[in-house]
Amino acid sequence: MSDLDKAIAQLRACRPIPEAQVRELCHKARELLIEEGNVVTVAAPVTAMTDTTTDMRRYPWPVPRSHGALSSWRRPPDTNYLFMGDFVDRGFYSLESFLLLLCLKVRYPDRMTLIRGNHESRQITTVYGFYDECVRKYGSANVWRYCCDVFDYLALGAIVLGASNTLSPPNEHIPSEDYAEADIEIEVCNADGDIMSRFQRRDNEQRSPNGASASTSAGGKTGPPGSGASGSSGGSTGNPTGAVLCVHGGLSPLIDTVDKIRLLDRKQEVPHEGAMCDLLWSDPDEIDGWGLSPRGAGFLFGADIVKVFNHRNDLSLIARAHQLVMEGFKEMFDASIVTVWSAPNYCYRCGNVAAVLELSEGGGGESIMARSNGDVGRSDGGMRGVMMESEGAPKNGPARRYRVFQAAPQDSRGMPAKKPVADYFL
Amino acid sequence: MASNQATPGRFPTLEILDPSTAHTFIQPAKRINEGPDVNAFLKTKAYRDIGIFVMQLNRAMCPRKVKDESGKEKTETFQIGSQYETQPVESVRKIQDLLAKLDSLIDEAPPDPGPRRFGNVSCRKWHQMVEERIPNLLREHVPESVLKFGSTPGSPTSAEDELTSYLLGSFGSAQRLDYGTGHELSFLAFIGCLWKLGAFSDGKADGDIERNIVLGIFEPYLRVVRRLILTYTLEPAGSHGVWGLDDHSFQPYIYGSAQLTRPITDDEPMPLEGSILRAPKPGNIVKAEIVDQERKRNMYFSAVGFINDVKTGPFWEHSPMLFDISGVRDGWGKINKGMIKMFNAEVLSKFPVVQHFTFGYLFSWDQDPDALEPQQSVHMANQPNVPISGNMPAPGGAVGMAAPWAQITSMPPPGAGVPYSRIPPNGRPTSRPGPPEPQPGPTGLPTTRAPWSK
Repeated sequence: MSDLDKAIAQLRACRPIPEAQVRELCHKARELLIEEGNVVTVAAPVTAMTDTTTDMRRYPWPVPRSHGALSSWRRPPDTNYLFMGDFVDRGFYSLESFLLLLCLKVRYPDRMTLIRGNHESRQITTVYGFYDECVRKYGSANVWRYCCDVFDYLALGAIVLGASNTLSPPNEHIPSEDYAEADIEIEVCNADGDIMSRFQRRDNEQRSPNGASASTSAGGKTGPPGSGASGSSGGSTGNPTGAVLCVHGGLSPLIDTVDKIRLLDRKQEVPHEGAMCDLLWSDPDEIDGWGLSPRGAGFLFGADIVKVFNHRNDLSLIARAHQLVMEGFKEMFDASIVTVWSAPNYCYRCGNVAAVLELSEGGGGESIMARSNGDVGRSDGGMRGVMMESEGAPKNGPARRYRVFQAAPQDSRGMPAKKPVADYFL
Repeated sequence: MASNQATPGRFPTLEILDPSTAHTFIQPAKRINEGPDVNAFLKTKAYRDIGIFVMQLNRAMCPRKVKDESGKEKTETFQIGSQYETQPVESVRKIQDLLAKLDSLIDEAPPDPGPRRFGNVSCRKWHQMVEERIPNLLREHVPESVLKFGSTPGSPTSAEDELTSYLLGSFGSAQRLDYGTGHELSFLAFIGCLWKLGAFSDGKADGDIERNIVLGIFEPYLRVVRRLILTYTLEPAGSHGVWGLDDHSFQPYIYGSAQLTRPITDDEPMPLEGSILRAPKPGNIVKAEIVDQERKRNMYFSAVGFINDVKTGPFWEHSPMLFDISGVRDGWGKINKGMIKMFNAEVLSKFPVVQHFTFGYLFSWDQDPDALEPQQSVHMANQPNVPISGNMPAPGGAVGMAAPWAQITSMPPPGAGVPYSRIPPNGRPTSRPGPPEPQPGPTGLPTTRAPWSK
């Protein structure tokens, strides 16, 4: 067993690794990250998750003491993993969580993609807990510094290519033929792969005249059954699909094409304003155009902004994180953008379920790879719009599975020893 | 006021203004716009007055050694639900009624059953109703002599305006649907204003009126806040998560630990260690059944009980700060002393919290001539000093211009710092709200001396 595998096992059990090892790990991770572009291309199949700042043990996957597919980590993973930022702060084990992800990145560099969230910043981590956590666990701020140096090299976004119109089965008990027949756009299942709800792809007749998907006016609840869901995953009409842009926060008024993200100088502390800041801080909202964000950084942006951006960039969907969602995911604006939230019962109190987004690999001609705006060094300016069926219509996304899960039951581990108190109490 | 003068000079109390002289009230406004402004705040009269008032309330809550008729010494304690709450002096009872009316407005704004992301939008309706009714409610519950206190004839601003501002700031942000220690501080300022205006002159000095205020007003206020948090699921947006003392509150830990400290006579200073006989052990905060008993009497346990109400999981994991503090060996007096230092450092000295505090005449931005230079701490040294970068294009305009991010900030030094505070740059409207308020956390060193730490 290599040192790295030992570290992975130790971190999975939520035990920190020695400071010297953290230093070496951060150094190795940085060497990998430095080679990545600002927007990493990730091929389907992809499992995307967000806001992994809380207790890693509460994740069914891909983390310790959990249900389901954890075993896949004992061999090279058979899907690509995309972590959409906010690895640290607020959680009791946010350090172990982040270090585990770094270990996995070093171990399986091509399988793991980590992008930066607004909490991956020196300023934010000194206020919201990660700094305190490192000092409490190591007695000094060294580990915090090593981690912050890694933050500066994290990519700003990812483009998922090759996601299929058709889902592959969520577990081995369901034959894949079932999925080839049914034209399922959205499936919600639990951590064990039991299907909770499905949404058929709508055909064109069901479209309302104004081009909005019929589900919007129907106003039905579409989240997991019985959960009082607010997730507005209505589905959209069937037509060829585009790529999926993954970013922590959202869009920026300074960024009108994905290529502009690629031109940013990202290797720095998150600035207080500007495009890089906006990508990590902005939120979608029910407004027209751009609005001020109550967060004090980034912007609010409306459906029109998303639709124009997706159209211009041949995107079918933007997947983002950054906001707590009670049902774990929330699709907005005719399924042109989705918020994914993967921290169950956030901060031990919010009572929310969590979700990860799965996109299946395209089989045969269904793949959307050919239509993507990848970072393969070409400009698609001449192509843009040619294949659009109608100007401004929402693109049809790839089939999406949301795997929804709750906080894992508490382990029965005993109470730990009290640590020395802060200076105030000496 | 006579009662004020009776207080021994070594235990300062908040000044009560002279109603016979003219006072120039000021509509309270924010003055802390950037990190370095916190340093200036720590030398203001407002900071001094907040400190004096918290210490005054704190010392009043400490158990007292008294002699009964036979001359036998006994200990008097001051608990939630005692006559201080049930039979308070008239002025305190009126504020209790005011709080009860704000509480009943929650019934008029039931949580919206519709789709929501997290915080319930009906909370905004509640805030709106409060804002509409506050003028009448204040006139019903606060004497006119207080509302119109020593006003300069023709002055556009009255004491009532200052009171209104602090009271409205006491219940969280309607926009962000959150609540934190900054709002709690605003309520303290509201009571402090009432004090300065002589509103509590019907009480007995030397502790009694302060106990009326803490148990008869502050604890009921916390109950309203807790109901708001539960009803509208106010988001812990500015929370440190597990790395803060508490998602929402700080002051109950101060007054609650004082309740359990070693008893003193009225002439003795606040003990720095020791507990009252048969006090629940600090370590008992992890035992839910003991917390459920003690929360009926004690403000510290009441706050811990509310954490238990809203959080699931092992206590040591979701509240490691409180867990560690429960291991303090020198009793509740030691915890009390630490809480006060921590309040000074983590609430009053933290930009994200105090940036929302407003300054008028009663809590004044004027410099305190006797203020000591705040000690330079790690935290103070790293307050953000945000350069205003070049022009930011107006939202929606000039998309895709040359990147302004390239010229933005220099990297802040490592150490404590504060996110994203700034004066709105050109091109952005000026009403941009600040970042969410974080909860107190364990970092940083105590920053100042008087009147906090000994």
